[in-house]
Amino acid sequence: MVKFLKPNKAVIILQGRYAGRKAVIVKSFDDGTRDRAYGHCLVAGIKKYPSKVIKKDSAKKTAKKSRVKCFIKLVNYQHLMPTRYTLDVDLKDVVTVDALQSKEKKVGAAKETKARFEERFKTGKNRWFFTKLRF
Amino acid sequence: MVAAKKTKKTHESINNRLALVMKSGRYTLGYKTVLKSLRNSKDLEEMNLLLVFKSKTLIGEVRKLVIIANNCPPLRKSEIEYYAMLAKVGVHHYNGNNVDLGTACGKYFRVCCLSIIDPGDSDIIKSMPSDH
Repeated sequence: MVKFLKPNKAVIILQGRYAGRKAVIVKSFDDGTRDRAYGHCLVAGIKKYPSKVIKKDSAKKTAKKSRVKCFIKLVNYQHLMPTRYTLDVDLKDVVTVDALQSKEKKVGAAKETKARFEERFKTGKNRWFFTKLRF
Repeated sequence: MVAAKKTKKTHESINNRLALVMKSGRYTLGYKTVLKSLRNSKDLEEMNLLLVFKSKTLIGEVRKLVIIANNCPPLRKSEIEYYAMLAKVGVHHYNGNNVDLGTACGKYFRVCCLSIIDPGDSDIIKSMPSDH
């Protein structure tokens, strides 16, 4: 019996505004906290997936198409579907619970995760994570 | 003919083992709690630690088992199987529908899926994977 809701696990958000989006667990709170008395985790996910880049595209166009828009959220375990994939991006220093306290901190953290996600996308690894889930 | 008899006998033995788990072990009934028990591993890790302390040897993991009735909707069945695959928990497809599984658990309601957290005195977890 193995615990699988661990940091770096790729999950799919099932409920809410971001339903159907892929995300990666940054920090998990199995027992919950005083504010949230249920198992939940801090995830960083993709709000807008990067578009398909073709060989014909100019450098400017590929740059525009490879943009990723991110979100950071605290999600209940019940509203996640875990997958067998993992995403090894180090977001622990950037994505923290207190980054969610104020709007400007949140935007700053989202910008930083956006940069990290984009550089990971450009290397061509973790392709599953950056493709939109069709449903 | 022999095959049919064999399945009947093992079917009864599953029922017996399940009855023993109901009496002596820990289990949860129902889809929501099954998923919850698959996500959680804390109970199990605590029990593992206790076992190691008491016996001073590594007994080996206390495993869980998930039993699914045969008329479980296929989407739900595959979801539970996927969670169990991630958690490395065995899944047993019960030879009977949710009404039968409820009766086997000694309950007066239908049970589509159940999760055995601690088998108690029963050897259901040790013998089931070999059957399956």
